[in-house]
Amino acid sequence: MMNISIARIQAIFMKDYKEFSRNYAISVMVFIPIIMAFLYRDMEFDAAQKMLFPLAITFGMVTAFVQAALIAEEKERNTLRSLLLSPASLADILIGKSALVSTISVIIIALCCYAVNYTPSATMIIAIILSIVFYAALGTICGLFAKSTMETTFTVLPVVIIFPFGPFISMFAERFSVLKIAKWLPSSQLADLAQGDSLVPMIGIVLWTIAAWVAAIILCKKRMVD
Amino acid sequence: MTTIIDVRHLKKAFQQSNALADVTFSIQKGEIFGFLGPSGSGKTTTIKILTAQLHKDAGEAFVFDMPVSAMQDSKNREKFGILTDNSGLYSRLSIEENLALYCKLYNVPNTAIKEALEFVNLYGERKKKVSMLSKGMTQRVLLARAILHKPDLLFLDEPTSALDPVNTAHIYKGLRALNELGTTIFLTTHDMQEADTLCHRVAFLNKGTIQAIGTPKQLKEQYSEQTITVELKDGSSQVIKNDAQNAQSLHDWMANNQISRIFSNEPTLGDIFMKITGSDLQ
Repeated sequence: MMNISIARIQAIFMKDYKEFSRNYAISVMVFIPIIMAFLYRDMEFDAAQKMLFPLAITFGMVTAFVQAALIAEEKERNTLRSLLLSPASLADILIGKSALVSTISVIIIALCCYAVNYTPSATMIIAIILSIVFYAALGTICGLFAKSTMETTFTVLPVVIIFPFGPFISMFAERFSVLKIAKWLPSSQLADLAQGDSLVPMIGIVLWTIAAWVAAIILCKKRMVD
Repeated sequence: MTTIIDVRHLKKAFQQSNALADVTFSIQKGEIFGFLGPSGSGKTTTIKILTAQLHKDAGEAFVFDMPVSAMQDSKNREKFGILTDNSGLYSRLSIEENLALYCKLYNVPNTAIKEALEFVNLYGERKKKVSMLSKGMTQRVLLARAILHKPDLLFLDEPTSALDPVNTAHIYKGLRALNELGTTIFLTTHDMQEADTLCHRVAFLNKGTIQAIGTPKQLKEQYSEQTITVELKDGSSQVIKNDAQNAQSLHDWMANNQISRIFSNEPTLGDIFMKITGSDLQ
C-alpha cells in the first residue's frame, strides 16, 4: 500500500516550480501552444477543430516533453536517487513531479480555448484532464529512459510526433493502411469525443492512461535499485 | 547492546568480478564504524546494499533488525541519512531552498536548517545558489542534508574527500557531537588518519573480503612489532625490542643522561593495511 503525503507532494511541486521558473530553456515551451492558438483563431474551421493542433502541441511539447526533461534532469544530477532515498513514497514523488506539468498544461489549454473561442463540454474537460495525466506518464517514462536532459530530446521525439497527432496521422490512412492504427491513439479518441461520440473514446483514453501509469510505476521502481 | 547493522556472508558480483566475496560484520548502536579500503574494494557496494539501492546475490543483511529490503519502505528511510558520491542537489535552488525541501520530506521544522548548516560551517552562505558552490561546499551541503533529521544511522561515503583541513576538523567535531547524541555512523573512507581520529572500530576491506576488524588500538597492538626508538644526544638512534632483554640498555642510557627522545613504534592504520593486503590504499 502506497503512503501519500500532501505535504511532501506540495514540497516537490514547489521545488519543481522554482526550478522550472528558473530554467528558461524549458519554461519557454509554455508559450508555443498559446501562440499556435492565437494563429489559428481566425482560420475558417469550427472551434473544436481549431483546438486540435494547440492541444496536440500542448500534450507533446509541454506535458510530455517538460515532464521528461524534469525527470531526466533529476536523474542526471542524482537528485532523483536522493528523493527515492528520502521518506517520500513513490506515489508522493510521481504525483508531486507530475503536478507541475499538469497544472501548467491545464492553464495553457484554458488559454488556448479562450484564444480559439472554444467551450469544451464537461465530458471533454474530463477527457482533456485524463489526457494530461496520460502524457505526464509518457513524459515520465521517456525521462526515466533518458540518461541526460540532452538525450530526452531523442527519447521524447517519437512520443511528441506520434501520440498527440493521431487525428493528423489518420488523414493518411487511406493511402497507407498501416496508419489506420492511429485512430486508436488517445489523441484520435479525444478528437472523436470532441465530435460527439463519448463512451468508446472515453474508455480508450482511460485505458491508455492506466496502461501508461502502470508502465511508469514499474519503470520507476526498477530505477530505485541499480 | 543493540545491533544496528548485521551482515553475514554478504556476496555481490558484477558480471565477472566479485565486488563482495564474503563479508561479515556487525555494528552496535552508538558506534562510529570505519569501513576502510582502496577504491573499488566494495565499500560503496556495501552501502548500496544496506540502503536497498542494490540487491545482494547471497548472504544476509539486517538494518535495525529488519532485512535490508525493508529499507525500501518510505517509513524506514526516515531512520537513516546518507551521503554518497551519487547524492545530488538542485543547482538552480539556494542551499536553504534545497534543505527546506528535505525538511518537508523528513517532516522536520525549518529550524533544523540552521543547525545543520552550522554543523558544516555554511550558515552564512545559505542564500547562495548551489550552482555557485565549490566541490567542497557542495559536499558540506550534502552532509548537512544527510544529518538534517538527526538520523539514528548515518551512512557516509568518503565525507571529507573534497574538504580542506579546517573544514575537515569542523566536520569531525560535528560528527562526534552527533554520535554523542546517539547517531550510529557507518563511515567509508580510504583516509586512514580520518578513521583513526573518528572511529571506534574499523574493518579493512580488500578485494571484497574483510581482512581485519577491531578498534584502532587493538589493531595497532596486534600488528605492532613491539619496538621503541631511542634517540641519543650524540645524534644516533637505536631501535630496540620492547622487552626485558633491552631493559638494561635503556637503564644505562638513562643513567648516563644520554637520551634525547624516546618513543614507541606503533604502526599507523595505513601501515597495517599495507601489511595485511600488500597493497596501497589509493
